[in-house]
Amino acid sequence: MQKTKVLNLLIPTLSVLLAFLIGMIIILCLGSNPFQAIGYLVKGAFGSATNFGNTVVRAMPLLFTGLCTCFAYRCGVFNLGGEGQFLSGAMAAITVSLLIGSEGWWVTILAMLAGTVMGGLWGLLPGLLKTWRGLNEMITTIMFNYVAALFMGYLYTTALREGSVPQTAPVPDMTKIGRVFPDLRITWGIAVALVLGVAVWYFLFNTSKGFQLRAVGFNQTASSYNGLSVKRYMLAAFVVSGAIAGLGGACDILGTQFRLISGYGGGYGFDGVAIALIAQLHPIATMIVAYFFAVLRVGSTTMQVGTGVPTSVIDIIQALVIIFAVAGSSMQYLPKFRAFMLNLFEKKEAVSE
Amino acid sequence: MNWIAVSDLLISAVRMATPLLFVALAELYSERAGLVNIGLDGLMSFGALVGFLACYWTGNPFLGVLCGALGGVLVNMIYAFCTVTLAGQQIVYGMAINIFAPALASFIYRVVFGVSSTLAQATLMKTVAIPGLKDIPFLGKLLFDQTPMVYAVYLLVVVTAVYFNRTKSGLNYKAVGEYPKAAETMGINVIRHKYFASVICGFLAGMGGAYLTTCYVNTYSDGIVAGRGFIALAAVIFGRWSGSGVLMACLLFGFFDALQLRLQIGTDLIPYQLFQMIPYVMTLIALTLFGSRIAGPKAKGKPYYREER
Repeated sequence: MQKTKVLNLLIPTLSVLLAFLIGMIIILCLGSNPFQAIGYLVKGAFGSATNFGNTVVRAMPLLFTGLCTCFAYRCGVFNLGGEGQFLSGAMAAITVSLLIGSEGWWVTILAMLAGTVMGGLWGLLPGLLKTWRGLNEMITTIMFNYVAALFMGYLYTTALREGSVPQTAPVPDMTKIGRVFPDLRITWGIAVALVLGVAVWYFLFNTSKGFQLRAVGFNQTASSYNGLSVKRYMLAAFVVSGAIAGLGGACDILGTQFRLISGYGGGYGFDGVAIALIAQLHPIATMIVAYFFAVLRVGSTTMQVGTGVPTSVIDIIQALVIIFAVAGSSMQYLPKFRAFMLNLFEKKEAVSE
Repeated sequence: MNWIAVSDLLISAVRMATPLLFVALAELYSERAGLVNIGLDGLMSFGALVGFLACYWTGNPFLGVLCGALGGVLVNMIYAFCTVTLAGQQIVYGMAINIFAPALASFIYRVVFGVSSTLAQATLMKTVAIPGLKDIPFLGKLLFDQTPMVYAVYLLVVVTAVYFNRTKSGLNYKAVGEYPKAAETMGINVIRHKYFASVICGFLAGMGGAYLTTCYVNTYSDGIVAGRGFIALAAVIFGRWSGSGVLMACLLFGFFDALQLRLQIGTDLIPYQLFQMIPYVMTLIALTLFGSRIAGPKAKGKPYYREER
């Protein structure tokens, strides 16, 4: 037990270091000073209170999509539709806030609820296709992502368009989610995200329903022999993970973005998947990794301005982290590696005796 | 619609089906060896970039396609090593490729052309008409006046169908995807087959990506693949893991793609986004109606441990 816990921490840390090393080599090959680049990155993320605020703002949507993936994967549901569910939540929230003809905190609550419900519905569709027709959720959720993104295009170019620029009107001032500190862009949405993260963790690891949900994810056959309705749990995982992403979309549009524009939300879904995988599907770790991703994203802009290294080097580093992290954790199950570790630990025990 | 419009629509359907077909065949080869590769989108986008660059620098689209294919192989080797040698989860690595390869492609593009630059343009592959056959009314223009890539992919469908159904080597290959342990006891090298499958998969998926930037449009942009890898994945399921089935599925999906382009030009009343949804929605509908619970290769998606009993 102890051994696996150490490995669970060691592998992600090593992966991050290794990925950064490769990232620095790439920067070096481009003719820039890697240490200077990292310096700019850190400065961009933590150089001032505003920058720090931006990292938290950037982390918020990633927290939601990361938790969305985390929750679904724990039940063996490979929901790649975080992006579509996020967008549908954002679309529902902005539609409610613009069309209700009034503004105020109760509209905010209503809009967030609408976002959550819409996200849940957008998760329910592939869920039904999976449980009813046995369709591979990885394909269907991706298709639903494109449908949601195109529908958003319809909203900002036609249905909810304001003025000559293709974008919607902003969320009314009184409906916006309030800021935690007046000077920083951090909103109470981050508090929602953090509470949600802890709630997901508590549900998955400290309740019997959560245990059963994970059991379904771990072994469907065994679960159904034990009388668990596998389909019902999977459907629930689809809906809840969709609702998490939808709430994220609502919080983001009501607190940070305020209007739908071209390209909004792009990449949040896949980032969420990457985050949850690096965090080895642990909700608390997911939140930490999401913040780390946000730091990289915010810092990399400063790095690009300072050194001319394109921000997409950060995407490469992120992808390398997930490749290394998952390679490391799957190595644990390799018979050869197991034998090797067993030998290593047995020898140590022998020495200590 | 008159005859010319129908013929134009079908020609464009064939053109749209070609990249899908390359990639669906790539997935077919991969899944037949038990490897579910959902990283097709990533492989395609890297193939698209490498193909574009080679075409841009040399001016030769054929070289572009070849380089794109090799680029696909290179990236897919990461997948192969992690899923075959390390026996990692195939879904997770497919996802990792989907995140890694487009990022790498976008990074390289920015390094080559600068952070903010005008769209670079390369030469497009020209259509080569087959003399004699192209004069057949209607069908001639549809089937025999296309780019060589189109001919290549149809040839490949035939080769694939014959290989898997009529040759001993093809049956061995299929055995790896059905029951690797039995295959291994019969003296088939499972690990080598899986690597071989990954090479083919990377090659074809890279070609499919390169098709987009050398035959379809003459520029590269991020997100050019637009989920085609996943549609190809759907085509494999819809086509029931057979060469001819995949061909029909890709032609169908290609037709919807062509149809939406055509409809977009046609009307102003209906917002064009609704038409753009057609390929994705039709994929969902097609799968819902016909794609349910077909198993495919039995050992697909499962890691293979040679030492395990």
